[in-house]
Amino acid sequence: MNEIDRIIRAQALFQCLECGKCSAACPRRLTGKDYSPRLLAHKVIAEREDEAFIENAVWDCLSCGMCSERCPSGVKFSGFILEMRSLLAEKKGLKGYRAHDGAVHSWMRMMTAPELRQNRLDWVPKTLQVADSGEVAFFVGCAPYFDVFFSGIDVDTLSIAKDSIRLLNFMDIKPVLLRDERCCGHDLLWTGDRENFERLCRLNCETFRSAGVREIIVSCPECYHVLSEHMPRVVPGFDIKITLLLDLLQREMRKGGMTFRGLKRRVTYQDPCRLGRMAGRYAAPRELLGLIPEMRFEEMENSGPSALCCGNCGFINCDAHSKQIQVLRLQEARATGADLLVTACPKCLIHLTCAVRDPLRQGSVKMEIRDILSVLANQIAWYGG
Amino acid sequence: MRKNAGKKRVRLLGICCNWSPFACYNAAGMNRLAMPPDFRLMRVMCIGRINQALILRAFEYGADGVILLECLDDDCRYGPGPGVGHENVRRVRRLLHLLGIDQERLVECSFGAHEKEVLVETLWRFADEIRTLGPMTEGNVLGVKRPAL
Ligand code: SF4
Ligand code: SF4
Repeated sequence: MNEIDRIIRAQALFQCLECGKCSAACPRRLTGKDYSPRLLAHKVIAEREDEAFIENAVWDCLSCGMCSERCPSGVKFSGFILEMRSLLAEKKGLKGYRAHDGAVHSWMRMMTAPELRQNRLDWVPKTLQVADSGEVAFFVGCAPYFDVFFSGIDVDTLSIAKDSIRLLNFMDIKPVLLRDERCCGHDLLWTGDRENFERLCRLNCETFRSAGVREIIVSCPECYHVLSEHMPRVVPGFDIKITLLLDLLQREMRKGGMTFRGLKRRVTYQDPCRLGRMAGRYAAPRELLGLIPEMRFEEMENSGPSALCCGNCGFINCDAHSKQIQVLRLQEARATGADLLVTACPKCLIHLTCAVRDPLRQGSVKMEIRDILSVLANQIAWYGG
Repeated sequence: MRKNAGKKRVRLLGICCNWSPFACYNAAGMNRLAMPPDFRLMRVMCIGRINQALILRAFEYGADGVILLECLDDDCRYGPGPGVGHENVRRVRRLLHLLGIDQERLVECSFGAHEKEVLVETLWRFADEIRTLGPMTEGNVLGVKRPAL
């Protein structure tokens, strides 16, 4: 069978009813880009000779998953995009305009060198308790790298890692940090570099196994998406438990004993696509934020499954439309009257911060943005204590 | 023969501003001053055009050492060039350190327009230092498999 036919079948494209709900909801389309998932589905099924159209469209998608959310017929559009990108990249080379000139993808590919001995843990402060060995590890991800690369726009991704460990320590968990952990490879996977993505998976798996780790706690939704969904497919028999820190916190809070100190802020929440639409975690962040006394929580016009994308994914094709999506999102956030936008993914933090700082906007979409884990770590306390 | 002949081969890349440093490089060539072997020069209009990604890419593609050849801070034809270079070198050095790659593999140096001897001397010193550090890995580029772009 032709490879494209196989992908169409596997991702249920034949179920398309041509209703157009996907295109109507697609944030690319919403911001005026000449792009339509419905038309792409049609072309790939019925007009495959229009290769130029198909190839452009495949690289244009943000993989935000809004289309699959709206589709009444169960078409797995993001899965289709993922497989098509790997296929096209293999045949015709990587396409898609790489944001930041591809620096992120460069360091990810450099991490596929087995002989690399990283110094990725110099930042761990003495106040945090971490273990040299043990069964539970915390996956730091690319935070130390982003922290350097994006230092020019003041996004402090490293704080998310520090605050995650603070929360774990509070719950009496002393996690192992792995010096030779690699990037999870999310951005290589979603930009079509399947081969290097799989190398990262295998190297990470070796690192986990040789450290004797049985469970990995993850704070980033992209790392969670990769480690829980893709890792077992790349490494057969991958049996290490992957735990999302927000889930763990939710469970522990329900047991009682811990509480949050009050925070007098009006807050709204951005659902990251990998956490919401891809992992179905809408309730946990809201439940946790809801436990903070004195805080007023406001939903944005589009929230939960309908949440608008942060404008970019995998650091490709960041363009005027991406910026427009970000501005729309920030306007929605400001319209709630909130003075703090909480998100749960370092990428949302980076992309939305970029738009906030856009000099052309002259501060009109200014808003404080923080990661949920940082907010929670600053407020957590013992009950009665 | 210079003193470092016979040591392991390394891949050296110079990213060179078109103005003062390239004038030096050009004059050095006209005067037949010897350049270190395995040195390749990439000429750009201004070091300000070079960003973190392009420096990293040089390492991804197999450079064992990279030197940015810049104008003196006040000589930049466009204004901010050398300053951008300093900041990018500072950040990429930190990224290299995270990756476990010796930060000394990335250096920058500024030149006035008539400093051909200084430039050549700097390049030899750079070549010596990288040879002492050795090639990043035997054979392949850090073992990285690059996809077609
Ligand atoms: S995943 Fe998002 S950007 Fe891509 S087609 Fe679907 S709605 Fe549009
Ligand atoms: S929403 Fe689903 S059924 Fe409707 S056009 Fe899009 S892919 Fe086809």
